[in-house]
This record gives sequence, structure tokens and C-alpha cells, in this order.
Amino acid sequence: MRDIQLPLNQTQKVRLQRALQQLESLYGNVHSGNSVTVADTIPVNYDDGVLRGHGTMDRDGQVVATLCGVVERVNKLVYVRTLRARYKPEVGDIIVGRVVEVAPKRWKLEINCNQDAQLMLSSMNLPDGIQRRRTAVDELNMRSIFVENDVVCAEVRNCPNEGGVQLQARSQKYGKLEKGQLLTVPPYLVKRQKQHFHHLEQDGVDLILGCNGFIWVGEHVEARDSMIVDQVNNAPGETSLETRQKICQIANAIRVLSTLGFNLNLEVILETVNLSTKLNLPINEMLGSEFHVLVAEREAERRSSKNTKRKG
Amino acid sequence: MVGLSAGEKNFLHGGIDQDLRSDGRNRNTYRPISVETGVIPQANGSARVRIGATEVIASVKAELGRPAALQPDKGKVAIFVDCSPVANPVFEGRGGEELSLELSVALQQCLLGGKSGAGAGIDLSSLMVVEGKLCWDLYIDGLVVSSDGNLLDALGASIMAALSNTGIPRVQVAAAASGDEEPEVDISDEEYLQFDTSGVPVIVTLTKVGRHYIVDATSDEESQMTTAVSISINRKGHICGLTKRGSSGLDSSIISDMISVAQHISVQLFDKLDTQISAAEADE
Repeated sequence: MRDIQLPLNQTQKVRLQRALQQLESLYGNVHSGNSVTVADTIPVNYDDGVLRGHGTMDRDGQVVATLCGVVERVNKLVYVRTLRARYKPEVGDIIVGRVVEVAPKRWKLEINCNQDAQLMLSSMNLPDGIQRRRTAVDELNMRSIFVENDVVCAEVRNCPNEGGVQLQARSQKYGKLEKGQLLTVPPYLVKRQKQHFHHLEQDGVDLILGCNGFIWVGEHVEARDSMIVDQVNNAPGETSLETRQKICQIANAIRVLSTLGFNLNLEVILETVNLSTKLNLPINEMLGSEFHVLVAEREAERRSSKNTKRKG
Repeated sequence: MVGLSAGEKNFLHGGIDQDLRSDGRNRNTYRPISVETGVIPQANGSARVRIGATEVIASVKAELGRPAALQPDKGKVAIFVDCSPVANPVFEGRGGEELSLELSVALQQCLLGGKSGAGAGIDLSSLMVVEGKLCWDLYIDGLVVSSDGNLLDALGASIMAALSNTGIPRVQVAAAASGDEEPEVDISDEEYLQFDTSGVPVIVTLTKVGRHYIVDATSDEESQMTTAVSISINRKGHICGLTKRGSSGLDSSIISDMISVAQHISVQLFDKLDTQISAAEADE
């Protein structure tokens, strides 16, 4: 377990350790055959022939891991998927990125990958919504759509082997994100799910869990079809205090979960938010050590009860 | 560093106007502070301080030296700050030099007082061994390990913690050497004198973003600041030093307003640091 850097007193330390041990014991032996550290031998069937992939090397006729992670096998190919690494894009992933450059016919986006992603002008829905060839005028007006530093939500279109990630934003749910905050968590905490866009209706908050570990928490924006040009002209309305409180509460719940290294999904995030509401905790004290310990204990309890249900 | 989009800037400004910042804090609240002491065994005293995601280390090294001719009854203190490229890739090579220098100068102003040594937060006369001949030189080094805003307050707190962790060896001066001769000394390996930190001030930085000023700004908030005023205040509530960053000017009434707010906040900060330091000392 990674060292969690929190100022804990003695009892909190013991409680946190117990919760983490409980979590570890629940899942300790599930993947033990599959996870490797550096210099571990990876058991393979040599008769079928082996293709050594990323994170492996040949040493005295044996396949040895050169990275820490999980062994993945695809037919003959054996490779190690690292756990704590940069985001590795896959087609169809929903990501949140930040525009770093406006280039000819494309925007370049920072997506916490080893390369910047490209969002082509031609893979964007234009503000007028008409399908047509992009003209030179469109190209000159690119900055009216996204400018540098804008936070954008998009989908991975393809990631060719030679590198370079292509994105697309062909639907109304994608596009520029405003009135909210961007959080960065390790990308391995966000698993691919059916739904990455969440609209929490009772709070009026939008939550987008980007697969690349960029998470957007912001005020809910109704149908983004008239987005972009019109929205810039509209004077940005103030976020109301209640909505802002909810946004901060959800953001802090995500911060707590990511410090503890728990996977992020809507259920867990909302449970953490509810826990803090039930305790009547001021929003900023959610980042204190006591709440971290409580969340860890609760998560251990939840997972173990789930485990017994599955067995029973 | 990546900048913020127009939408995020608006959100941040709106939050400060509504007295609810991005992480749920009020304008006058600090992030959680944690202190660890004795992190560098070779130094006479050292401490690591974390304020949220900001992390700094300070160390104190004591050496015997000669006092300056103008102040024969006082020791010398030198403060240096280094920004590690671990904190931000911009600091690589000579990139961090400008910020390091700025921080060192600000700390010197906040802790060491004027050129004559008057108003110093660190009691320089306690460092004297033999008047005019022998004194302790304190080298205080700060290292920025991780930077998420409010470096000066963190460095001030870490220096305070490091000084309270500092033991200065007891020195026996053999015989009163006459004239210009160097006095013979015997430095004790076992006996240490605890450094007196009752006069060491804390630094409270108030950052002005939009119409309001906030305490303990994160780097996102600092990117939107117009001015920042750092005020160092000792336990008595007296101001030991004051520096201002940022290009835009401030009305004098705002500055005096800021000072009274900082005095109020410094009391809480002292409390927090004292409990953290004593807990850290107990842990060691």
C-alpha cells in the first residue's frame, strides 16, 4: 500500500491501518498470480511461441517483467500494463483535456498522456449544426470555438500505433466546460464505465469522470447545442452559493478518495458526500485526516459486506 | 504551468466573492498544516512542513565564526532558499533562481530585520560566544519540494519548526585569550542548548484576487492575484517585517486593514503550529 501522507494522531493511524489491511485482505489473493514487480518471472507457455510486449525482457530464456503492473495476455502477446503510469488512451474513452495549442485545422489538447491529443476541426460539430466541408473561414474562426487553456470534453476517435491520439466531439454532450473546477487524479482510479457523464439533478451539478484522470465538477449546463459562440456572448451568470457548495463538496469527496487510492465512480463519490452531510462537516474539513480515516473505514465495511453478499 | 480557462477563472473569482473557495475554504482559512521535525540528521535542526499540497523542508546548520566588525556582540544568520525541479519542471537548471532569490530576500526581511540587526525575529545576541571574536553562524536553508502556492508562509513555518528543533552545542572557552589571539574552545558533543524560538515570527501572506484578499492561496489562485502582502508577526502581535509582491498598487487603508486581519490570523497560526511542532517533537 502506498504511503498516505496525512497528519494522523496515534489512534487515527491505527484505525486507518486496520481499514486498509481489511481492504487488502479482501482483495489480496484475487490477482496475485497476475501482478508482477520488476524482475519477476512471468510464467508463459513456451510451446506456443511467445511475443514479448511492453515491460518484458528475455533473460536466460525466461520472460521477465521490467515494470510493475498487471500481466496482460492477448493470444501470443504478453505485456505488462503498468498501474501507476500516464493515461493510455483507448478508442471510445471519454476524456477531459485542456487546450494547449491552436494549430492549423486542429487543437492540441493536454490529456495526461505521453503525447498531446489532437482534436481536428473536421471532427467537431460546428456551432450552426450543419454538416458541411470546413472552409478556410471556419479555420480562421477556430478561436471562437476553443482558445488556449479551455477545458474540453471529447471522445477518443482512434489512437494509431505510430502515436498521436485523435479525438472527436461530434455530439452535443461534448465541448467546452465552464463554471466549475477541474481536478486531476491518477488515471488508474477512473475505470471505464457505461456512463461517464453524470448530471446530479437534485444538486444541479455536472460531473464528468474523464478516463484520463481529469475530472470536471461544474454547474449543470442545459443542452449544449447552442453552445460555443452564443455562450461567449452571454454574460456568464454567477453560480449560486448552494450549487457552489455542492460542487466543492463533491470535489473534496473526490480529493479524499484519490488520496486514499480508491476507485472513483458515482456511487462511491455520492456515498462520501452523504457521509460528510450526515456528519454535518464543514466542506473544508473534509480534507482533514479524521474524515480520511472515516471514509477508509466505511469503504472497508462496504466492500466486505458486498463480498459476503456475493459469497452468500 | 498550465493556465486556467476563462470559465475556471470566473468560477474562481466568483468563489472568492462568495467566500467559498474551490476546496470549500473561506477567505481566511488555511489548508491543513502538518509538521515533521528532525528530517535531516546531519543538520542541527530541520523540519518538513506541508500546507495542503505545498511541501517545504528547512534545515539549520550552526558553525563557529567571527562576528562582523560592526556588530561584535551579535551572531550571524544567513537564509537561502532553493526550488527543487521536483516541484515544478520550470525550476530546472537556472529556472528556479529568480523565485529562490525572491523568497530568500523576503524571508531575510521578515525574519532578520534591518541591516543593524534591530527588530530581528531571531535573537542574534544569543548566538554570541566571545564578544568580538567568536560567535555562531546559523545557515538556514529552505528547499521547496512541492509547490502549490503560499510558499513564503510554508517556509516561514518550516524555519520556525526547524529552529525549535535546533540544538546548539555548548561551548567552553578555555582561558580568556589576550589581545588578538584566537580563544581556545571546547565544543561539547553531548550538551546542547535549545534555541529560543519565542521571538521567531510567523509569516502570513494575504493575496489579493479581484476585490478581496485571501489567505493561503493555492497556485491556481496565485495565478489570478494582483498583489500579495506578506506580513511577519511575532507572538506579541508585533509586526517584524512586511513585503509586497505583484505589480499593482494598494491603498494604504487596505494595507492597514490587511495588517489587522493578519494579526488576527497569526494567533490561530501560532496555535496550530505550536501543537503540530510539539506533536512532531514527541513523535521523534
